[in-house]
Amino acid sequence: MPLTGVETARMNRKKGDKGFESPRPYKLTHQVVCINNINFQRKSVVGFVELTIFPTVANLNRIKLNSKQCRIYRVRINDLEAAFIYNDPTLEVCHSESKQRNLNYFSNAYAAAVSAVDPDAGNGELCIKVPSELWKHVDELKVLKIHINFSLDQPKGGLHFVVPSVEGSMAERGAHVFSCGYQNSTRFWFPCVDSYSELCTWKLEFTVDAAMVAVSNGDLVETVYTHDMRKKTFHYMLTIPTAASNISLAIGPFEILVDPYMHEVTHFCLPQLLPLLKHTTSYLHEVFEFYEEILTCRYPYSCFKTVFIDEAYVEVAAYASMSIFSTNLLHSAMIIDETPLTRRCLAQSLAQQFFGCFISRMSWSDEWVLKGISGYIYGLWMKKTFGVNEYRHWIKEELDRIVAYELKTGGVLLHPIFGGGKEKDNPASHLHFSIKHPHTLSWEYYTMFQCKAHLVMRLIENRISMEFMLQVFNKLLSLASTASSQKFQSHMWSQMLVSTSGFLKSISNVSGKDIQPLIKQWVDQSGVVKFYGSFAFNRKRNVLELEIKQDYTSPGTQKYVGPLKVTVQELDGSFNHTLQIEENSLKHDIPCHSKSRRNKKKKIPLMNGEEVDMDLSAMDADSPLLWIRIDPDMSVLRKVEFEQADFMWQYQLRYERDVVAQQESILALEKFPTPASRLALTDILEQEQCFYRVRMSACFCLAKIANSMVSTWTGPPAMKSLFTRMFCCKSCPNIVKTNNFMSFQSYFLQKTMPVAMALLRDVHNLCPKEVLTFILDLIKYNDNRKNKFSDNYYRAEMIDALANSVTPAVSVNNEVRTLDNLNPDVRLILEEITRFLNMEKLLPSYRHTITVSCLRAIRVLQKNGHVPSDPALFKSYAEYGHFVDIRIAALEAVVDYTKVDRSYEELQWLLNMIQDDPVPYVRHKILNMLTKNPPFTKNMESPLCNEALVDQLWKLMNSGTSHDWRLRCGAVDLYFTLFGLSRPSCLPLPELGLVLNLKEKKAVLNPTIIPEAVAINQEAANNPSSHPQLVGFQNPFSSSQDEEEIDMDTVHDSQAFISHHLNMLERPSTPGLSKYRPASSRSALIPQHSTGCDSTPTTKPQWSLELARKGTGKEQSPLEMGMHPVASAPLSVFTKESTASKHSDHHHHHHHEHKKKKKKHKHKHKHKHKHDSKEKDKEPFTFSSPASGRSIRSPSLSD
Amino acid sequence: MAEAAATAGAGGSGTRSGSKQSTNPADNYHLARRRTLQVVVSSLLTEAGFESAEKASVETLTEMLQSYISEIGRSAKSYCEHTARTQPTLSDIVVTLVEMGFNVDTLPAYAKRSQRMVITAPEFPDPHTYIKTPTYREPVSDYQVLREKAASQRRDVERALTRFMAKTGETQSLFKDDVSTFPLIAARPFTIPYLTALLPSELEMQQMEETDSSEQDEQTDTENLALHISMEDSGAEKENTSVLQQNPSLSGSRNGEENIIDNPYLRPVKKPKIRRKKSLS
Repeated sequence: MPLTGVETARMNRKKGDKGFESPRPYKLTHQVVCINNINFQRKSVVGFVELTIFPTVANLNRIKLNSKQCRIYRVRINDLEAAFIYNDPTLEVCHSESKQRNLNYFSNAYAAAVSAVDPDAGNGELCIKVPSELWKHVDELKVLKIHINFSLDQPKGGLHFVVPSVEGSMAERGAHVFSCGYQNSTRFWFPCVDSYSELCTWKLEFTVDAAMVAVSNGDLVETVYTHDMRKKTFHYMLTIPTAASNISLAIGPFEILVDPYMHEVTHFCLPQLLPLLKHTTSYLHEVFEFYEEILTCRYPYSCFKTVFIDEAYVEVAAYASMSIFSTNLLHSAMIIDETPLTRRCLAQSLAQQFFGCFISRMSWSDEWVLKGISGYIYGLWMKKTFGVNEYRHWIKEELDRIVAYELKTGGVLLHPIFGGGKEKDNPASHLHFSIKHPHTLSWEYYTMFQCKAHLVMRLIENRISMEFMLQVFNKLLSLASTASSQKFQSHMWSQMLVSTSGFLKSISNVSGKDIQPLIKQWVDQSGVVKFYGSFAFNRKRNVLELEIKQDYTSPGTQKYVGPLKVTVQELDGSFNHTLQIEENSLKHDIPCHSKSRRNKKKKIPLMNGEEVDMDLSAMDADSPLLWIRIDPDMSVLRKVEFEQADFMWQYQLRYERDVVAQQESILALEKFPTPASRLALTDILEQEQCFYRVRMSACFCLAKIANSMVSTWTGPPAMKSLFTRMFCCKSCPNIVKTNNFMSFQSYFLQKTMPVAMALLRDVHNLCPKEVLTFILDLIKYNDNRKNKFSDNYYRAEMIDALANSVTPAVSVNNEVRTLDNLNPDVRLILEEITRFLNMEKLLPSYRHTITVSCLRAIRVLQKNGHVPSDPALFKSYAEYGHFVDIRIAALEAVVDYTKVDRSYEELQWLLNMIQDDPVPYVRHKILNMLTKNPPFTKNMESPLCNEALVDQLWKLMNSGTSHDWRLRCGAVDLYFTLFGLSRPSCLPLPELGLVLNLKEKKAVLNPTIIPEAVAINQEAANNPSSHPQLVGFQNPFSSSQDEEEIDMDTVHDSQAFISHHLNMLERPSTPGLSKYRPASSRSALIPQHSTGCDSTPTTKPQWSLELARKGTGKEQSPLEMGMHPVASAPLSVFTKESTASKHSDHHHHHHHEHKKKKKKHKHKHKHKHKHDSKEKDKEPFTFSSPASGRSIRSPSLSD
Repeated sequence: MAEAAATAGAGGSGTRSGSKQSTNPADNYHLARRRTLQVVVSSLLTEAGFESAEKASVETLTEMLQSYISEIGRSAKSYCEHTARTQPTLSDIVVTLVEMGFNVDTLPAYAKRSQRMVITAPEFPDPHTYIKTPTYREPVSDYQVLREKAASQRRDVERALTRFMAKTGETQSLFKDDVSTFPLIAARPFTIPYLTALLPSELEMQQMEETDSSEQDEQTDTENLALHISMEDSGAEKENTSVLQQNPSLSGSRNGEENIIDNPYLRPVKKPKIRRKKSLS
């Protein structure tokens, strides 16, 4: 890079004052990634990286980079060998010998471990020491080139190899590899600064088999054969500054398709799928056009690539100028259902190209802006492509999801601010994981986070208008593209990072509006609003008295103060009112316009200007009110429970034109099983103009109403005559027409109606025979020969319908289920399922939808006692090698079996699969399903809940899942669901000695891991003269006695030492250690990081906690209660209040005891300490913890 | 056949003697057939201008003729069975002859030749023997019955097929005590599962082509037709006629650029330089 380093650094620092402050003492400008060998057989990768950095501080003596699972051979800085250590505390979060089993403790330790390597805090797993020869060079802030040779062997995360075991060369077998991961996971496959905020330009080189293609970011400059002509090298150049986290790679024998509309766009798919690829991507150019138009900005990269791969980690992953999709999104022109879904995925990935890849974020707490904007413009695309109805329906769906999630878990916070040290402000105390870092988040929380982000973006739009909104986006983009074109002025690149404050500033600049209250309510604060509304009509005053209450005390809620729109449909028309929701006002008087019944004969004007005739006979004669809607535009993140009369809901369903209102009224009508409701729903079903999704949900509502009205129901079963009229032959009403799915609306209705009908029950709570015969006939006469589209989804839903019709078997004394006592109806159903399932083997359907439905149906039959409950069938379908949808369906059945039959064997089988399955998505999904449908929960007695299981799960999340953030968080979720936050109740109560031991470890050892590591950094950064004192660096060239002694102080080492020590002495407690530490040479630093890094209360080093307790005796977290030795009865017996004083006494007591003991042993410890350090000398590899034992010294040196 | 007879004119060295006495009826029949063939061969020889022939050469020619005719018969049988018939038709014979390298076109002329020898044969039976009055059953045109029939036929075929597959292969069962009532073909993992899951089956492809051509006429959407035509011009995409994508505006603009696609992935791979510089920037 032809750039004067000094200038850059200065500019950078200057810039830093104003905007982005880099957490690193250097600026990365360019990185080379070169992978020169990829071995599919061994699943290994060999390569090197070269980072060009400019120091920004004079005394830079160590450089921290991110790297996980890579084996690092050699590090050179400006061609000088450099020493390095590789220490990853996330590999094993808690010490493996620790007997701690409570989740609170784990979560804190995990959060601390993640922060200890968090690039956004300037940390990293790989710490490189700048050779002393270069110190002078560094002091002049001159360029450093760090060259790192590395290899990857059988990576478990980050890079995923798919190697089918068939005959032929790798290319013929369709073997491929691609990068994957959740959030910033690039460190899994090459050393880098794995942060979204460190941008640089890239040169990427991949040497692959001649039959393969390597797809990566940026422009393909050239492809060159190697000398033996058996391989070729792909040279990529990415000149737009990009974060390492947005770098990706896909290598495989891909078929190449140049987009016929945009030649700079290239699509890749696996062999044989080219026809599907052509069809699937034929739409993409329209998405491009749409985004470019609304953003008035060209697509920022000079090219775009889409790659469709198997065994995808997520369906859509967007990286700089390239997106990786699941191959299962590909479809042919015959498939209806998948088409909109795939197009949505394409559009989503493209939106993230602008916001997420091109524009990156400053820190994790700014993530919501990116997710919000990309989600918001994706929503605009939805509106344009699928129409306003679909859009509003989607918004409603998303709103319901976020509301349900927040009420369940207690809130999603978009913009977490972590004030230094104020631990009481922990914003997510209700959660069992830390939200401080993306890698500690539960996956479900993260999806909900994205959902909330785009909804909030929509709220901002409501406030400042769409025009301004798009102007803001345009401004962000044009600033970024100006910055990106400044090739050699890396200080400008921070313009490409978005931050919450920057975003808000440009909103206020562009719109001139103050949206601070809105931000405060939805962004800086978690929770949603819960409204309860009811009304009365005051005839005398002709006034509507509306009462709106809020629930802001239950978890996940917040108080709303501000405007609220209410729409009242009266006889005279529809009127909007804006109420001011204030602290204490519950009642609102709204004057009505129409004198009741005055204009009896007139048509009634609706909101949209339409005038309709209504049959007003159902109305209350005194009131002019037809219906009332609260917050019709969904401009508050809320749940509304509104009470109005059934006829009002019916009017709303029939005449309100907004699909959201229709949906709401359908939901409300479930509670009013009357003939009038039935009529309203049937009318909606028949109305062709009505939105198809509304009609679909009307089906299910009608089924519910019919069941409630079962004793008074007249006529044929609900929907039957309707279906006959719409879809059956005129001449023979029992035979369905041959399929013609040209009209998608009726296709969806035709699919759904039988499924809903199967839910009908007669007085004996059985599915009416008539309905079952009807469905069987539909299956029998199904004829797709003349249809342009595939009927696989339709047939699958028919099987779902059959499954829905199943009711529990009448069982006499738990008799064994055999063929002889099989219910004749069930026999018919089984016959169909058998035939369908067998036919799938011969003529498989698209995505095996039919197999999936069959498996579910079989499970339903098992669960209802018609067929013996047996997981064997599902287990065979769950094996690796089946299509992923089938596997998931089968696994879901096994999970359900595990729960219902409390089978330990199956649970073990599932847990093994979580550990061993080759497909990361399946592993994640099993955990997810187990969490959703747990075999037991924390308050439940279950034979499955035992110590071995606790240990197994603990091991899984502690060390077994260190290669996949998402999986680890999934394991944490499961652990939480099964055992809760505190120590699992099935564990035996520890004896006194053991407890003290545990307490010791918890109190002293573990929290120190991080603070110390941080302390070292800080010390080093602050104190340039501390070179000789460096801890944690083993310089292979000059290992002096001095350094070794300090080596001892590294985290793992001391931890290992102490545990070892404790075991040796078999001493119940060594309280002295807690005092010993502050007394050591770095004592001054400890308060600093206990406030600076650990904002969660429990990560606070234990000694300070103990002191606090001594004073007040009130701080009793469940954790400490669980650990306390006196608790000999089950812990839950104690309540905080009743035991607080007791405990405080004990602590007091112990504390004194500790103090005394400490004094005694202080000397001894120090002695041991030294002794141990000498032992360490002899075997250099024990230096790091067993978990991080990848490589400390480069193997090349030990050779 | 004439040539065959001619070339085989003289010098046959047949060693087989036709004088063997046989007693069983099959052999008698065989001999009678052979005698007839001998007559035919002799007459053909006469027709070709031979005055006399050695017995051995006549035998050889007869042998050749016999095997030729049997081959026609055998082959015609296979052709007719191939099309699921039991009675060979004229076209089966024609195909057979073509397959055997015989120019069928010359046959009528040969049959009409003037110097044909007439072999005395018994008289044809009375003309009414050849008259047949076939009786048809009225074809079922009732829609309901047809659908019923189609449905049950398909179901029967499917059931038979799946039962057969289940019988011949591994199965799974829902009931422990019973494996035959609801036999499930055992699940077998694939090496590349996504291929079977995503690619439409041949049957579906065929159906799609059929419905495509039949329903294309019904579509009055001119835009879509225009798009379709332009697609065919480029000759690249065939199945791209989904109604879901209707964007005619772009289809026009691309015709011109078609031949100058510059995409880095389409460029030829470069040969390595003899002295490659180290590939670092």
